[in-house]
Amino acid sequence: MSQFNSHIRSSVLRTAYCVLGLLRAQRAAHACPTTRATAAGCGARLSVAPLVGQGLSTLNCRAQLTRQKRDDTVFDAFTIQIAGSIRAASDNDRATVQILITDVTDGTHKAKPVLSGISNFEFQISNFPRPVFFYRADLGRIPDKVTTLSDWTTVAHLNIDWLLFPHKGKRVLRFSTSVLSGQTDQELACAECSFTCENPDFGYVDLQENVHRTKTLAVALALAVSAADSRLYHAEVCLIKDWARTNILENSKFKIQNLKFETALDQAVSFFQKGNQLDIYKVCKEIVEIAPLCDRYDILDLCLQVARAKGTVAAGELTALKYIASWLEVDMDRFRTMMEKVLPVNIHQVKDAKVVLGLGCDMSREKTRRQLNREYRKWNSRVTNADPEIQAQADQMLRLIAEARSQYVG
Amino acid sequence: MSNIVGIDLGTTFSELAMLNAIGKAEIIPNADGDRLTPSAIFFDEDSPGVIRVGIEALNARHLNAERSVRWIKRHMGDPNYRKEIDGKIWTPVELSALILKKLKQECSAEHGEIRDAVVSVPAHFDEVRRKATMDAGASAGLNVIGIVNEPVAAALYYATTREVFGKVLVYDLGGGTFDVTIVDVKGSQMEIICSQGDHALGGIDFDQKILQMLEKSYREEFGADLINSDEDRAKYEDEAEDIKKALSRRSVAKKMLYGPAGSTKIEITRKMFEESIDSLIARADILVEVALEEAGLEPAGINKVLLVGGSTRIPLVQQRLEKMFGFAPDKAVNVDECVALGAALHAGLTMLRDKPEAVPAGIASGLRDIILKDVCNHSYGTICAPLDKETGRRVIQNRIILKKNTPLPCEASQMFYTMSQGQTALEITVTQGEDADPAYVNKIATHKFELPPGRPAECPIKVTYRYDVNQRMHCWFQDLQSGRTLEVDFCLDHNGQSRQVGIQEKTSQLEHVTVQ
Repeated sequence: MSQFNSHIRSSVLRTAYCVLGLLRAQRAAHACPTTRATAAGCGARLSVAPLVGQGLSTLNCRAQLTRQKRDDTVFDAFTIQIAGSIRAASDNDRATVQILITDVTDGTHKAKPVLSGISNFEFQISNFPRPVFFYRADLGRIPDKVTTLSDWTTVAHLNIDWLLFPHKGKRVLRFSTSVLSGQTDQELACAECSFTCENPDFGYVDLQENVHRTKTLAVALALAVSAADSRLYHAEVCLIKDWARTNILENSKFKIQNLKFETALDQAVSFFQKGNQLDIYKVCKEIVEIAPLCDRYDILDLCLQVARAKGTVAAGELTALKYIASWLEVDMDRFRTMMEKVLPVNIHQVKDAKVVLGLGCDMSREKTRRQLNREYRKWNSRVTNADPEIQAQADQMLRLIAEARSQYVG
Repeated sequence: MSNIVGIDLGTTFSELAMLNAIGKAEIIPNADGDRLTPSAIFFDEDSPGVIRVGIEALNARHLNAERSVRWIKRHMGDPNYRKEIDGKIWTPVELSALILKKLKQECSAEHGEIRDAVVSVPAHFDEVRRKATMDAGASAGLNVIGIVNEPVAAALYYATTREVFGKVLVYDLGGGTFDVTIVDVKGSQMEIICSQGDHALGGIDFDQKILQMLEKSYREEFGADLINSDEDRAKYEDEAEDIKKALSRRSVAKKMLYGPAGSTKIEITRKMFEESIDSLIARADILVEVALEEAGLEPAGINKVLLVGGSTRIPLVQQRLEKMFGFAPDKAVNVDECVALGAALHAGLTMLRDKPEAVPAGIASGLRDIILKDVCNHSYGTICAPLDKETGRRVIQNRIILKKNTPLPCEASQMFYTMSQGQTALEITVTQGEDADPAYVNKIATHKFELPPGRPAECPIKVTYRYDVNQRMHCWFQDLQSGRTLEVDFCLDHNGQSRQVGIQEKTSQLEHVTVQ
């Protein structure tokens, strides 16, 4: 099923190139011949080294990771500084600074834009989950036609929280800094510099890939639940396939893609039909790493629906569900609430009071008593529900609670 | 002036009590001279148009179970329950009305007109079941001036006939239902602290356990079924009840079983019975603990345990209570009659509050010092869609506004906010139930609340519920910006013109029915 991930990845990359192309084209349209030459000259230079010894005839820039404080809030920021010459059309020309950031970790030919997490600094491009980060601010007046900044001059503090990187981990970022005319918007000078930093969070490309990977893993878990009673029922397989078509394929109308998808699904079903087993723990662990909590609840819901598809739930399926819930690190009380709703006790082939009533093996008598009282309070209030099915379920649960009380509390 | 009565409409037995000239409640025996009337109905095929209620109906079950009805209270408010007799469909309300009609007509024959009555219900009965009970009373030609919770009625009678001070736990284990109510009693002043109930725990469940033992024993001996028809079942249900009663007095009960494969003598010991009902008693224990938790009390905080209902005669019940509380429960009042007697007192208090001019001076004087403060029987809430903190998604949720066991009269408000920009309407739902999940609560009213157009999201809507001592609930939904308000009223005795017409029709139908 990895073809779906690669499909997404390639579409993301295509879009990334489009963005970069669009931005470059936009900048080139405004650039004067002089500044283009300057820009080309500084393009290969990394301005992290001291300015000493470097020529001031061109513009240089550098980025540093700093800690800033604003309105009693401390934040990490990329501080962007420039030095060197800026050529304006006239004296006292107003100027603005513009900064774009590109992730070039995988080389310039695979560059991806850094997206914006703040509405003040964004540039909307289609096919991206969010707009591209695009910083623009007033620089004030440039005194002379040719102004030389002999010292590093700070032009921006870019709060790291504003930036959305494409991937997690060590990233090489390229900062493209341009000084533009305040009147004509023409580029007066530009410089680029790189900075390597660590991104602790998933990037936007990661997130998109994770979404699809999570769905693929969800199908695997659902099949594992279905096979937990040593047999995959037709109703269960149909439910899983329908879910996959809706959520992974998103009801695509591309024939070849659909065909490949169906083949992959059939192969997965066949894997379980042959009695092969999945390392559920490993799958859950991966899901926990890449999926937010709400997606994990969706996966659990799918697994519960699969367990009820044939009308009864086997003990093996209940055990598998319990482990999946635990390994997906969801709230176990919430899982039991979901289970009560989707898998009412009357469809359990084996009524395991401990599973159904949330009694832990290590619970003391007193804790067991309190848990049973809680359950009793809950089900006793449901026993007069207008829905006869809920009434019947509540009746059965109350009987189960009373039996458990006799057995475990005495 | 007509008589003021209270009626205990029980699962297995019903009774009627009346206030005498000095405001004391007295049980009025039926035409057979019995103080308790079995809540059994028999449609006599030999005398069309005659419906038998009481002991005759109980006995007739053995001959024709198909035309008999028992334990109808367990089906009260159930829209799916129907009994078809000679092409006529009888609902639980109509069947209950027949029992009430029997009580009313036999008391009227002896004591004159009976009109104003309070009927008791289990504390856990919801609005639907309470309303069904009131409708049954109205169909029987009664003016049901109120509904009282059975344990409250029992406590009322207990506290007004004994010197009682402190926290009293009323343990009401009747024929079909079980209630626990904790009352703070200071002489004739009573404050209900909380009530908890179990709709399916009572004498008939204990009888069923004995019946299962009889069936099992017969099958083991003869390899055949003891029960092969509804009539057999009716007969052995009554046998089981006799055995249960016998086991409350002796340690062994003996019975002959005359089954289709032969007859045999069976011995059931009290120990066997106690083992068989262990899970039912466990269920009762839980309810007591839940009530104590609700009241914020430990067993040591209870000064007296008052037994109500015939099933409290079971020795194991009394032993368990003694073990839990450290003292023997109080058997001072007649466990079968105290609910009806208390209901009559409650009827007197209701009349004094609502129509004092209709209460004879002697009764008014007798009830003068009694003060009863009741609580809200259920939780009431509304449906909303808050953001779930864990998942960051909106979830549809029932938010409780008026909490169960809040002292009456009570009022509570909560603020809610519109969800979307330009929202022009709200779906207002009034719920009854304890759950946060809307699937598990009863929706007792749904209305559309129109809002002004062109407004941003997050406009505040104030929701206020008020519940008064007459069990009337008033709900307001206020849009604070525009000042628009939607008001919804609920009361047990008035539910619009059509409902009234429906009941009048049923009353006139039942007028032509002869109940004996």
